[in-house]
Amino acid sequence: MVPVSACLELSAVLFGIGLVGFLGRRNIILMLVSVEIMLNAVNLSLAAFSYRLQDLQGQVLALFVITVAAAEAAVGLGLVIALYRNRPGVSVEDLTQLRW
Amino acid sequence: MLWVLALFLHVAAIFLLLGAEFLAAVQVIVYAGAILVFYLFFLMLLDFPREEAGPRFGAHWPLAVAAGLAFAAFAWFIRGPGSGPTAARAAERLSPRNLSAVGIALFSQFGLPFEIASLILLAAMVGAIVVARRKTEP
Repeated sequence: MVPVSACLELSAVLFGIGLVGFLGRRNIILMLVSVEIMLNAVNLSLAAFSYRLQDLQGQVLALFVITVAAAEAAVGLGLVIALYRNRPGVSVEDLTQLRW
Repeated sequence: MLWVLALFLHVAAIFLLLGAEFLAAVQVIVYAGAILVFYLFFLMLLDFPREEAGPRFGAHWPLAVAAGLAFAAFAWFIRGPGSGPTAARAAERLSPRNLSAVGIALFSQFGLPFEIASLILLAAMVGAIVVARRKTEP
């Protein structure tokens, strides 16, 4: 029997790791990977709740989250390609054109 | 990237422990198989000569670490004695017939969200092509 609280703790820590990566990294591709890690943490907690309540809705919702993650990866990396075409380098600190 | 692969496979194993076999299979196929290979393709296509030299974290990394620690502190609140599934609900809806149960739920109760998910994938496909397309003069 898997303790659900352990899964939720792992999920919180994983989300924290993804948050640090998203906020602190300079490389935009690694920021996108950190978003994937955060979505994975959410999936983990959804599966844990599904297991705890013996209800399938959490797993179905996790499937939809995976769908959205795939879509996000495709569009995000397309944007990286478009950015890279205009200016080489993927550091987010160089992208200051929209700054007021 | 290898560590992200290890993370995805471990999460898939935890899905297996939680009785979500279909979710574990989808995790391995979609995350470890498709998304990670997609990222690796992009890292191979675009080479970053000066990314390796610079610092890995931005100037505001202490703020980021503080935010991450604040979120990870939730783990401290939810620690406690582990609790398994409630015995009240019937256990046969999950494993070992997890795949058929998920399929039935996906096509009956969640029919409309399923169609919307396919629409999202189509829109993402078209959007990625349009955004990344090389501009051609008309």
